[in-house]
Amino acid sequence: MTTRTTLLFTLCIASLVGLLAALAVLVGPANANKDPVTPQQLKAYEDAFMEQVKKGDLLFHGDAATAKQMNVVLSNTGMACAMCHPFASDTHPQAFPKYQASMNKFATLRDMINWCIEKPNQGEKIDSDSDAMKALEAYIYWSNSGSVLVPGKY
Amino acid sequence: MSELDRERRELAAVLQRPGVHPDPSLRLTRRTFIHRSCLTGAATVAQTFAWWPLLNTIDVAYAAEEPFKFAWVSDTHLYPKSVNTRFVEKVQRAAREVQAMSPPADFMIFGGDLAQLGRANELELGVELLNEVKIRKVFIPGEHDWYYDMGAKWKQLFDKPNWTFDHKGVRFIGLDTVTHGPDYWTARKMSPEERMDHMATLDGSVAGPWAGVGRDQLDWMQKTLADWDKARPVVIFSHNPLYEYYPPWNFWVRDWREVNEVLKPYLNVTNIHGHVHQVLYNEIGTMRSIGMLATSWPWPYAPEGVPKLTKPMIRADPGDFYDGVGWETLSMKNDRIETEYIMWGRKEVFVQSPPDSSLSQPEILRPRIADQIWPY
Repeated sequence: MTTRTTLLFTLCIASLVGLLAALAVLVGPANANKDPVTPQQLKAYEDAFMEQVKKGDLLFHGDAATAKQMNVVLSNTGMACAMCHPFASDTHPQAFPKYQASMNKFATLRDMINWCIEKPNQGEKIDSDSDAMKALEAYIYWSNSGSVLVPGKY
Repeated sequence: MSELDRERRELAAVLQRPGVHPDPSLRLTRRTFIHRSCLTGAATVAQTFAWWPLLNTIDVAYAAEEPFKFAWVSDTHLYPKSVNTRFVEKVQRAAREVQAMSPPADFMIFGGDLAQLGRANELELGVELLNEVKIRKVFIPGEHDWYYDMGAKWKQLFDKPNWTFDHKGVRFIGLDTVTHGPDYWTARKMSPEERMDHMATLDGSVAGPWAGVGRDQLDWMQKTLADWDKARPVVIFSHNPLYEYYPPWNFWVRDWREVNEVLKPYLNVTNIHGHVHQVLYNEIGTMRSIGMLATSWPWPYAPEGVPKLTKPMIRADPGDFYDGVGWETLSMKNDRIETEYIMWGRKEVFVQSPPDSSLSQPEILRPRIADQIWPY
């Protein structure tokens, strides 16, 4: 094979690859389904989050209707979470997980929420994956959005 | 700049001018503080947290005529016994201890929030429990006492929400800082229960900036003080602090500017207040201001605005219902007021090192969202 033939062959292959690449860019893979996020989608995601925040806010402030609807008894003393934690202050979600002296164990925020429900509020512990727990967690994190993460801090 | 920042800067500019302080002749001391930290390592603590007014021994021409003590109890937040017995037990304990003071206190001031939801049975329970205290008792209202029936039951039990009397050379004034709240209920056609529930939520957005003294009471206070020597001691009891600390929780009165105008000429003014459920100290203009503990539960310090002069109280253990709460004795003796915090279950009321303080972990918080009802 002469050098000229090799060159032509190489050019042919290169054009073919180029053509295929151009096609792939123009047409896309047969099963492509990813689009950039739309403002509508963003809003839907945020709404889904804020709905949980609002539910959590109501539970946190002792709203009886929300507690009943979610089938939880967070307090039996007339105390609501917000009575010691206005604006979810002093909950320090940014410090979890950490060793929690009052429980004598390495604890998550969910553990702490349940501790508060059971001890000071004398309510009924909730499932740590329950809707009520996720809502409470959403509200507490959202309230403290500006705080800096300091996991493990006493 | 946020509205809060703007207010705070104005407060500092108006009330904390260089060289303007309350008369040093009526200093505050705290036995519990001096007990330990003043003797061991006070310098470190003071440097870490704040300058703190310590004992001084300057004699004054116009001091209280003879030494005496009085007791402060407030923020009992009583539910009926069937709902919560813990709060009841704490009032019983405070009442027992006030009555056992030796020598006895000259009187006891109850600083508001006797009830949690303003119900007649809660207020009556409070009266019943405090019957244990046989010395003279005077009362000012808190917002929890008032907004169920707009003070009807409270007035029936305790008469006027503001008053004045002189005792051993000191003019005492009881101020009402809770009944002048703007009307948030009529337009919404709220039931008394709904009105009370919004008022009872410290961090709620509906009741708004309800804490205030009001023009009528300011005029009354000016008249009350008109014949009083400007150098002699005045002690003002109020439910809310008379300066701006954290308006979102009504840790203020909204007309603090006008209050300052009235009090400016008087050099020996001490304001003793409840509502904040925490140790607080501030000097604003010629007035010093001291925050009292609740018997019910402690509030955390607000995320901003804690006065620089406040030496913070220790972080309470939420597992101990007697921690972070209690009552106070206040002694007036020659040249000073001495405040003793009786914090149950604590030898050290004040922080000893940064980890003891909730303020050592900075917080940036958002106001709540689920109770937003504006615009109508």
